[in-house]
Amino acid sequence: MPFSLARPPVLHIQSVQKTYASGCAQCAVLRDITLEVAAGEFVVLLGASGSGKSTLLNLISGIDQPDHGRIVIDGTDITRLSETARTIFRRDHIGIVFQFFNLIPTLTVLENITLPLELRGESRRHCEEQARHLLRRVGLEDRAGDFPDKLSGGEQQRVAIARALIQQPELVLADEPTGNLDSENGKRVLALLTELTREAGRTLIMATHDPTIVPLADRVIRIQDGQLQEQAHTTESILPLISTN
Amino acid sequence: MVALFRLTQRYIRRRRMQSLLFVLGVALGVAVGVAIDLANRSASAAFDLSVRSVTGRTTHQIVGASGSIPTSLYTRLRSDWGVRTSAPVIESYIRVEEMGGRSMRLLGIDPLAEAPFRDYLTVAPGADPDATAQALYNFVAQPNTVLLSADLAAQYALAPGDTLTIQARKNPRATLVIAGLLTPQDKASRQALRELLLVDIATAQEVAGQPGEISRIDLILPDSFDVEQLAASLPAGTTIITPSQNADALRQMAAAFKLNLQALSLLALLVGMFLIYNTVSFSVVQRRPVLGILRSLGATRQQLFILVALEAIMLGAIGTGLGLALGTVMGQGAVRLVSQTINDLYFRVTVEQVTINQETLLRGALIGLLTSVFAALLPALEATTTPPVGVIQRSRLEQRTLRRLPVWSAVAAALVASGYVLLRLDSESIMLALAALLTVLLGSALLTPIFLVALARGISPATSCLLGVVGRMAPRSVARSLSRTGIAVAALTLTVSTVVGISAMISSFRTTLTDWLTVTLGADIYISPYSEGGNSVAVDIDPELPATLAKLNGIARVASVRSVNVRAPDYPALPPVNLVAPDVDITDGKRRFAWLTAPGGDFWAALEGGQVIVSEPFAHRRHITPAQNQITLLTEHGPHTFTVAGVFYDYTTDQGTLMMHYSVYKHYFDDPYLSAIALDLQPGTDVERVLEQLRTGILSSTGLQAQSNRQLRANVLTIFDRTFAITVALRLLAIVVAFIGILSALMALQLENTHEYGILRATGMTPRKLSALTFLQTGLMGLTAGLLAVPVGVILAIILIYEINVRSFGWSMSFAPDPAGFIQAIGVALIAALAAGVYPAWRIRTLSAASAIRSE
Repeated sequence: MPFSLARPPVLHIQSVQKTYASGCAQCAVLRDITLEVAAGEFVVLLGASGSGKSTLLNLISGIDQPDHGRIVIDGTDITRLSETARTIFRRDHIGIVFQFFNLIPTLTVLENITLPLELRGESRRHCEEQARHLLRRVGLEDRAGDFPDKLSGGEQQRVAIARALIQQPELVLADEPTGNLDSENGKRVLALLTELTREAGRTLIMATHDPTIVPLADRVIRIQDGQLQEQAHTTESILPLISTN
Repeated sequence: MVALFRLTQRYIRRRRMQSLLFVLGVALGVAVGVAIDLANRSASAAFDLSVRSVTGRTTHQIVGASGSIPTSLYTRLRSDWGVRTSAPVIESYIRVEEMGGRSMRLLGIDPLAEAPFRDYLTVAPGADPDATAQALYNFVAQPNTVLLSADLAAQYALAPGDTLTIQARKNPRATLVIAGLLTPQDKASRQALRELLLVDIATAQEVAGQPGEISRIDLILPDSFDVEQLAASLPAGTTIITPSQNADALRQMAAAFKLNLQALSLLALLVGMFLIYNTVSFSVVQRRPVLGILRSLGATRQQLFILVALEAIMLGAIGTGLGLALGTVMGQGAVRLVSQTINDLYFRVTVEQVTINQETLLRGALIGLLTSVFAALLPALEATTTPPVGVIQRSRLEQRTLRRLPVWSAVAAALVASGYVLLRLDSESIMLALAALLTVLLGSALLTPIFLVALARGISPATSCLLGVVGRMAPRSVARSLSRTGIAVAALTLTVSTVVGISAMISSFRTTLTDWLTVTLGADIYISPYSEGGNSVAVDIDPELPATLAKLNGIARVASVRSVNVRAPDYPALPPVNLVAPDVDITDGKRRFAWLTAPGGDFWAALEGGQVIVSEPFAHRRHITPAQNQITLLTEHGPHTFTVAGVFYDYTTDQGTLMMHYSVYKHYFDDPYLSAIALDLQPGTDVERVLEQLRTGILSSTGLQAQSNRQLRANVLTIFDRTFAITVALRLLAIVVAFIGILSALMALQLENTHEYGILRATGMTPRKLSALTFLQTGLMGLTAGLLAVPVGVILAIILIYEINVRSFGWSMSFAPDPAGFIQAIGVALIAALAAGVYPAWRIRTLSAASAIRSE
């Protein structure tokens, strides 16, 4: 069943299917997914481990390719782009926050944040200005020169958020951003992520199996056995979902 | 134990590429060593066979001062002294036209005295006894007949009754009729006969132009025989020796050459050892989680050690097996190069096939396995430190490596210092010098990591400025993965520095040789017998020839020289002395000396006065100094002691040369012949025209060749280059092993960093930029190796030139490396490293970002 929105969609997914070969059998991870996400919306993809959340995020980001279907972001069908074009599109339009932070150990905090801009070929000075601004926002301005292994988990994820937002992407994808943090740090990181994306009017799609995040979202999509099964537009209407998880 | 074996086996199967590189590293290292050893041993075996074939059961030999003795001595020996088991022998080299001008050994024998000594004339079982009897009858009854082996005859389609046209010493053209074919019963004789022509003693005297003379008398003396008394009663100018004494001296000539070759062959194995260390330590790092689980499940430290060591043993065994097979094949090529050099420089040896020696294979197998286990020892010990709970992070391991850097660097400095101390010890041991060289090399290799870190940090601002984030990441990742990159770069440094060192040594040697040739080869044209090297001069020059040549138009000066081997009784373990007796100083006083005691530096006056001068290697081997300046030679008039007036630089032979004035030589030796003639032309005379005139006229049927100064110089340099051809092959092989080392390290790095690459791709780094990152990493590693290899190579060259060469061959040479060689070395290191990056870069380009992110 297709999902409809009042605002123009920034993301349009149509009939997407993805299977992985497991041994000699083909395992369908996503089956006929169709979804639209409006600009500025905060969508939570809720599902158990192995339900296909991360695979869907990988397809949206262009890290992976669907077997069938189209994924259109801001008017561009990324499934028709070459590997390199997808990478460049991702660099310019999408920010990603991972569960395990995934900072580059050979780059300092500041350099990790400036990485997407530097890859875009922007001037070092401009990159650093932007990065320092974001570092202040995430409260780590004094750690700019440190390497990631000197930072705590919460600090690393704050750096990862700054990195995801530095190129002002239309779409921010977060894959279990609090999954590797204690609850206190998890809350802080979540608050920071939603605050920064909402403030800048970015679209945020967050995959999680943590139902406590649900109240913060504009819309919750439940993913189970590779299919989007239910959705809700208000926090009130998804309360029953919370109880099922 | 079975479980451990299964774990190792599966790990090897899962990491196929790493395992393959390990196996290749061991295989190449073992193969090079085995190939060189087989080549050396095959050459030795062929030489021994050749010695045995002409000495047979001889226990003693009576020889003359300059290579011949009167036949009458043989008669007196049998009649006066009653030595019945004696046989006269004439041994000479000849050239046979019907065998494509091939040089053969002519053995003149007395068929009636021969039986106790050699088995050539024995009929082989199965051979036609009548045919053999007929052959022997023809041989004894008819003059100018020759016996040769059936194999040799078949090779050149010859049959009994055919005529052989030969060119011999003092006889440029003679003919011999094949009396019959021999089929000796034993394999050794059969093989020996492939190089031999048998004639009776009278024919040999006629062919060799030595009427009334023989080369030696072979004796079979019982243990009870009083050899001393016989020696004392021999006439002046003759002496008694044992065949083994002679052969040992000859064998000793090439010993240093073979030892140096063997040392060089170890290089590939040494580089391979670094590769093994790298692979095993990587496998330990990668398996730490598994090792941790095993520990928590109750595996002991000892079992973990066995687990890791087992991997090295299994892969080492496969690599060793492959190496042995490959070495045997490579031995075929190596034996040609080795025997060619031995022929060029030392003595004649024809190696028909590689002798597969069990000892060589066993030694190769042991070296391969032990090297694998030894190189795996440290990582295996490290595996035992894995904590039962939790996994040590890779970054912590690398931090530990970085912390240990000062310690390793201190060890490196200590090794270099101890190498220096070893070289300063008052010793002439080649082994000690090679050990010092190895110590310095290892020390330098251990300095590589600190140099790599320094260079990576130093270059980072520049690469960052030029290449942006990729330029910043590459040096850092190389420095941060020091446990991987350090070893690979050390292996490459080791190889390239050896290439630099040997190239600089060869370049210095070549420059010295060229300078020496400029001084020594002062004449315009040189006339000499055709020679195949290895002291096998086929023709002696008629003493009347210089006078004939002097009458030709355009000749300004004719200089002649006699070159013979004479015995020095005080040095029985050394080969006979190469005596050179010129009648004119063709260097016109420009000859350079290490030291000279002649008044006013006039060495020629000293020579005319009866003194001699010796070359550097000659003085080195016999410890001749200004204080110990006497040398006794066995002359036709008995032993005579000469005073050495000086030691001159000479690169003709590493056995050394003794020079005396021709008039002095004539006084002590009854030998009218000459060995070479040098012609100075009048100004404006066309060299080529005179050469043509000589070749088509006077020299046309003499077996002599005329060469211009330029041609002779080119020929000398050709032999020089040929001598070092095998080192080029060995150096290339070592580079291949080092290349595998870098490739292995890069593959390891890539496996470890797969996740990071996935993140970079997710963050927006294009596949091309990721490839660039790989090439930048590998390029930096290559650059480090190249830059460090230059100073290390120079130190190596200095040790080679001033220690190992002097100790091995007694030559001193000026240090004259080719600067282009240094740039080439950096280029070789860079290219090897960049080439090793091609496959990893391709893999990284085709990497699936999604699966890379999933990998952890």
